[in-house]
Amino acid sequence: LPCRVPPLLMPPSPQTRAARVRVGKGDKPVTYEQAHAPHYIAHRKGWLSLHTGNLAEEPGAAERAVEDAFLRRFFYGTFPGVLADEVVLKRRANLLVVCLVLARGLPPAKLYFLVGYAETLLSHFYKCPVRLELQTVPGKVVYKYL
Amino acid sequence: QDPTAAHYMFQDDPFLMPRNAANSRLFSLSKESGRNAAKYIIKQFPQYFDKTFAEPNIPCLMPETLTPQIEGVNEEALKERIHLRRVKDSVDLFDQLVQAGTPVSLETTNSLLDLLCFYGDGESTPEKEEQKEDLEEPGVQASEQKAPKRQFQRGSQSSGSRWRENNNAARIFKIMPERNAHSYCTMIRGMVKHRAFAKAYDMYIDLLNERHKADVHTFNALITAVPYLKERFIERWELAKVFLNHMAQQEVQPNLLTFNAVLKTLRRCGGVGRSMSPLVIKEMEALDIEPSLATYDHLLFIFYRGADLCPSGIISEVLDDIQKRSFTPQDPDDGMDFNMSDNLHCLSLGEKCCDLRDIKLAYQLNKAMEKGDNWKFIDMDRLNAYWSKFFSLLCMMEQIDVVLKWYKEMSPSLFYPTPKNILDLLQALDAANHLEVIPSVWEDMKQLGFNRRQDLLEELLSLMSREQHPDEIQLAFAKCAEDIKAVHEQTGREQTPLEWTASALSHVALLFSRAGRTQDAWYVNMMERFQQINRIPTDQVMDEFLNCAKQTNCPDEAIKLVKLAASLGLPSSQRLKSRTEEEFVLSEKQK
Repeated sequence: LPCRVPPLLMPPSPQTRAARVRVGKGDKPVTYEQAHAPHYIAHRKGWLSLHTGNLAEEPGAAERAVEDAFLRRFFYGTFPGVLADEVVLKRRANLLVVCLVLARGLPPAKLYFLVGYAETLLSHFYKCPVRLELQTVPGKVVYKYL
Repeated sequence: QDPTAAHYMFQDDPFLMPRNAANSRLFSLSKESGRNAAKYIIKQFPQYFDKTFAEPNIPCLMPETLTPQIEGVNEEALKERIHLRRVKDSVDLFDQLVQAGTPVSLETTNSLLDLLCFYGDGESTPEKEEQKEDLEEPGVQASEQKAPKRQFQRGSQSSGSRWRENNNAARIFKIMPERNAHSYCTMIRGMVKHRAFAKAYDMYIDLLNERHKADVHTFNALITAVPYLKERFIERWELAKVFLNHMAQQEVQPNLLTFNAVLKTLRRCGGVGRSMSPLVIKEMEALDIEPSLATYDHLLFIFYRGADLCPSGIISEVLDDIQKRSFTPQDPDDGMDFNMSDNLHCLSLGEKCCDLRDIKLAYQLNKAMEKGDNWKFIDMDRLNAYWSKFFSLLCMMEQIDVVLKWYKEMSPSLFYPTPKNILDLLQALDAANHLEVIPSVWEDMKQLGFNRRQDLLEELLSLMSREQHPDEIQLAFAKCAEDIKAVHEQTGREQTPLEWTASALSHVALLFSRAGRTQDAWYVNMMERFQQINRIPTDQVMDEFLNCAKQTNCPDEAIKLVKLAASLGLPSSQRLKSRTEEEFVLSEKQK
């Protein structure tokens, strides 16, 4: 008899686990971004990082990906505890526009300090102008509870 | 321009938008300090920022090489260190060279002297980098960074160091085997810059004895040193003329800076200045030198005493000034046509316009400022002060609808009103009998953070309660009064409650009474509160309260009032009692 592994014992493929928040008891607040799985991108979600590297015959997609990873960690560390949602990165020609949604945890003067610091540091690091655009919300915007 | 948006340097978010001048300054300064923190990190760890390929190459983001490359004790290394502005290293290297016996060329020694005189024996900091040829303007960015203070000495406040007796420059100068005119000139300029004026003069005499020729920059420096060399006005002017004559003899062509230096000296010369400066201007015109903003500024100062102006570095670029330069300095009362000023002076012009009560001048100045790049001459703090003075002038001179139009357009985007501006606005509204705008002014006051200022509150309350108004307005006024009452009683964590004053209390009582809010009126300061803080209510307040009680038909209140009046021993208590008896229908018990 052919020995076949029953489907229930197959290890779950990574495609069914990526970027999804598993349903729990109903007390876990989840933002719109987190609540939607990756197959909803371009249907119900937009992109978090916009650049032309992935178009046909355009170079630099891998470099952009590495830069994105660095930038996300950088902002997660620079604005400790006040990032309310994922960082959105938009690249227009040479310019890098970083859109952040922050909670109002820090007084505005401190936020401006961090903005000036981040803009200058990243400009000198990546040798391109970097601009931060902030939006503040009273708290994390919950889409649903899972 | 969007009248509701703040300056573009701020983020466009209601939490992050500054609401008053203090906040705007705080936010812009904190952003700047963030930038400085980043620059510090970049300097400390240059190894992480040394990637130099970039598609459009942006030079200012590229790493700077500040470490000298050439090693060894030779002249090339010395030149490089001088170029990199490393004062101490260059001096050490020079000493090593001299001890080793290697001859150092005259040019190199001169450039070393330049460096030393420029930095006055202190180390150069990276922020103070400037063109080496531009040794004339040492104090420009320092004076821009300083808070607005009087600076009567150009550049000397930027380096607090004084010229020490035997510092490196003097020492090197002495041991130089040969000196040319350039060496003397550099020394003179350095001494003037670092406030060793008598020495500069002596050095100049040495220069003349050696029969060298000084250049135009040296003469400019010497002329600026004149007020410190002589005390009396006539002597100062004579000395300046001596220098100018020497210039003519040595055939050195004066430039704009020379004339500006002369005018600056004349500022310290009182009456002599007033008589001499027109001649200076005529000379300038004869030589075809366009006056710069600083020239105008010196002139204004000479002719309008009592203005505090700080001469910043003299700008040698010429503005294209299409407005007719029709100033007649001989007649300052003649509504002298304004002139545009340097980056600290538009303020003074605004003041002068205020003093002269001339609104047309102010409008013209405004138009001139809007043209081209002229806004760049004034920085943010001064800009706020300028607009605030402009607005005061408007309130004084113009009709109320013009004032209100400017107010709506200008705040909060262009400037943040100061308390004085709000007072002026209230007075203008009063003069034009437009008191119904007051509740919206109160809203602005709250937003600006002025809702705890006693003087403004007094003014507001007295205006609101002076006369009877139609009902809706009265209600709105009562609402403002309620806010003010809340301010006085607030037991919040950060702020202590304001003390009530008698007038404030009575005004609030009046306003509540008129609006028919008997309960509030009674509760607020009513009488009990009056007793608490030992103030006596005026008769007007009592009468109004009685009216209000009559309107709302509460005889109890009226009786309480009479009891209070009796207990306070007021002379009007009898009158109040009789009024109460006539006007109210009282039961027996109440009688």
